[in-house]
Amino acid sequence: MATVPTTIEAAEELLETGAADLPEHVTLWQDAWARLRQNRMAVIGLVIIGVFLVTALLSLVWTPYPTWRQALGPTYQTPSLIHPMGLDDYGRDILSRVMGGAAIALTVGVGASLVASMIGIALGMLAGFYRGKIDVIISTLINISYGVPDLLIALILVVLIGRGVGNIILAISITAWLGMARLVRGQTLSLREREFVEAARSIGTPNLKILTRHILPNALGPIVVQATYLVPAAIIFEAFLSLLGLGVPPPAPSWGRMASEGYKALQLAPHIVLAPCAALSLTVLAFNWVGDGLRDAIDPRMRR
Amino acid sequence: MSRGTLVYAAQRLILITLTALVVSSIVFIGVHQLPGNALASERRNNPASEAALLHHYHLDLPWPQQYLLWLQGLSHGDLGESLVNFGTQITPLLLRESQTSITLGLAAVLITVGVGMTLGVLAAIRQNTWVDYVASTSAVIGYSVPSFVWAFLLILLTVSGFYAWSGGQIYEDIGWGKPEQIPVPALALGLPYAAIVARLTRASMLEVIRQDYVRTAWAKGLKARVVILRHALRNALIPVVSILGPLVTGIITGSVVIEFLFGIPGLGKEFVSSILARDYNIVIGVFTFYAALVGLANLIVDLLYPVLDPRIRY
Amino acid sequence: MNPGETLGIVGESGSGKSITALSILNLVPEPGKISGGQILFKNRDVVSMTSDELLDYRGADVAMIFQDPMTSLNPVLRVGFQIEEAMQAHKRFDTQQAKARVIPLLERVRIPSPGQRARDFPHQFSGGMRQRAMIAMGLANEPALLIADEPTTALDVTVQAQILELLKELNRELGTAIILISHNVAVIASLCTRVIVMYSGRVVESGPTRQVFDHPEHPYTWALLRSVPRVDERRHERLVSIEGLPPDLSRMPTGCKFHPRCQFKVERCSRDEPPLEGVAPNQDARCWVLMRNTTAEARARLR
Repeated sequence: MATVPTTIEAAEELLETGAADLPEHVTLWQDAWARLRQNRMAVIGLVIIGVFLVTALLSLVWTPYPTWRQALGPTYQTPSLIHPMGLDDYGRDILSRVMGGAAIALTVGVGASLVASMIGIALGMLAGFYRGKIDVIISTLINISYGVPDLLIALILVVLIGRGVGNIILAISITAWLGMARLVRGQTLSLREREFVEAARSIGTPNLKILTRHILPNALGPIVVQATYLVPAAIIFEAFLSLLGLGVPPPAPSWGRMASEGYKALQLAPHIVLAPCAALSLTVLAFNWVGDGLRDAIDPRMRR
Repeated sequence: MSRGTLVYAAQRLILITLTALVVSSIVFIGVHQLPGNALASERRNNPASEAALLHHYHLDLPWPQQYLLWLQGLSHGDLGESLVNFGTQITPLLLRESQTSITLGLAAVLITVGVGMTLGVLAAIRQNTWVDYVASTSAVIGYSVPSFVWAFLLILLTVSGFYAWSGGQIYEDIGWGKPEQIPVPALALGLPYAAIVARLTRASMLEVIRQDYVRTAWAKGLKARVVILRHALRNALIPVVSILGPLVTGIITGSVVIEFLFGIPGLGKEFVSSILARDYNIVIGVFTFYAALVGLANLIVDLLYPVLDPRIRY
Repeated sequence: MNPGETLGIVGESGSGKSITALSILNLVPEPGKISGGQILFKNRDVVSMTSDELLDYRGADVAMIFQDPMTSLNPVLRVGFQIEEAMQAHKRFDTQQAKARVIPLLERVRIPSPGQRARDFPHQFSGGMRQRAMIAMGLANEPALLIADEPTTALDVTVQAQILELLKELNRELGTAIILISHNVAVIASLCTRVIVMYSGRVVESGPTRQVFDHPEHPYTWALLRSVPRVDERRHERLVSIEGLPPDLSRMPTGCKFHPRCQFKVERCSRDEPPLEGVAPNQDARCWVLMRNTTAEARARLR
């Protein structure tokens, strides 16, 4: 049990040690970065993500052919020099569409991870910090939501609110925050008992400041790891939605939609399906490698 | 099963019923706030028959009254009637379809646990050898490749691959109905999760084979197979069971996509086609079924704990 | 080691007692291995046994019980089954006999209502009961030799005495030879007729227990004896701890491994390692000096 300081001076002194965590955090993150660079898989993952990011940015201003232009040549054409990944069932250039798909996948993945993390951090901290009724309400909400497959909730939401990129992000985030909230709630529950939080409270620091200055920075490590894992999960989720015909609407070249359209001709022209699937799997793999690397780098004891 | 376990199971069943009720109520109320429905868009040609239809489905009543009527039906297991296929009762339809989904899901769980644990045990007992590296690397790749991509690869392998290999003798048909059509979709569904099980089993085995009781087993002169399977694995299973709950939920989610791709007439395919057709009565029904299935699956997993670990009692 | 003999191995932690014991079963944990020498059991060398021979030998010819009974029994298997399994691993008893022997074995190690207890899981046993169950498991195949590695360290004092009494009884009645490993001189003295003192992986002194403990010749034995209280002590000597720590195995001192901590060392000790030589009938020691050559004043200074 934490000792509760009895005088203002003692509290301020303790607060110093709590605040002294801050410069220490800088070195903590520097340490983590140094360890991450030692991890070969994480570095390869970062490079792959970098390549996809550049491709995605490039696709916003240039692709070899417009992603929507049909009948560039014979439909189902196999890879050739001018169409390195071949043409699809409408005669569209698959390479261009895979590039455009990268932009959608990364936007949805990173966007959903950010939105879900913000919801999860906010609700998790509220539940863990205030406990009592607020915790009961939030925890019940989490437990009930865990009782239903998240894809169903997202599907029904997309039907209700529409299929724009922003709506897709929202539909994914509406369930993706659950894990983050659980994690942050647990972290907050243990951090709120620490001396520097007791100290801050005893000299009348407002709760909001305690949460943002003292609890959040100390829980940031696991949050970053969890947020990293959320990106590939959201990318797969978007692919699921698109595959079922409820993702980003056509003619936007989402990888899941490309796979869904190519599936009809899987035996005849497997390249149509394999190109977006390879891009999707590689992106997810890269993020998982970075996530594993971050987890090991931030908490070396967790190393397996 | 002890009395404590029965009481625990009964409590959980009540909780599952409540959760299913809450979930379907939320969906019911949410859906009934929407403008339009499957009827409104398509059968406008005759105002009189449309009014009759609306009345048939109680859609002419205010939603709180509809909700009460729906609850009344639910209390004796009646989920109502399809909005699209006039006269189709939802409960028997979904009961039939859930059998298909459960068959597929169970096959996938068996594959997941079987493949995952084998890889995990091999990696652990051959720690830091090439077996370990191959198993560990394929685990990360395994769960980074989504189930539908596995489905495509497996279809290419079995349908085109076997066809070419056998010179046209074997043609694997994709679909549902014959026992030989189960493994491919089940494998696609289970492989990503098998990778997760493999990773966890490896870590857990590495922890367990350093325990004193495993040394005792060696000192007794037991064969390596007995030490690994009976003494180490039985204990290593305990933490692995803890992810079976989320795993079952994940497999149910994945089955929506896999059933859609393979044309398997289960709950998932029904959900997708109903939501596209705006047949909200079926959508609500599927939610109710899924909530119950997830709850029951988690209950079964929790009842496994005391079987595996005699120190746990409910 | 002779049939029915009781041998004690004593030394500080890290002196190689447990590794010696595990070597006898050829169970040295990775990455360690037996790099040379022989371990002879009934004229067979354990080090060069095939893996099949080893499996048959472990637990049947030589059985071992470990330090911590709380962690040495498998938590998910019934106690009776774990004993039965030890017999089924070997062909000494058939399945019927193995089943039938479990309860008498538990009875033999004084476990009350053994029929019922055989069906219990380890977590339903107390620490002392678990160690009794471990001993029953060790005796299951009527081994010629039972190795007990710190069998009482994790138990409380009254239970310790009961377990030692049990081992003594089994030795007397069944004729099972016992190697008792302990850092506790009193435990060894109460059970063993012969003792080996180990330091840094080496035997520094050996001989009949009474003789060695009454007239230690190696300074380490002498110091070890002075670091434990004795109930029968007539002279009121102060307890003295041995200064310093056992050497790090990666940075072994030259010469006698004990010389950095030895109060009686001479110049030669840091240069040459002494051989293990007879110093009295049945008693060997590894020392250039020997306690009999030290003066009473030198010893008195250390009091």
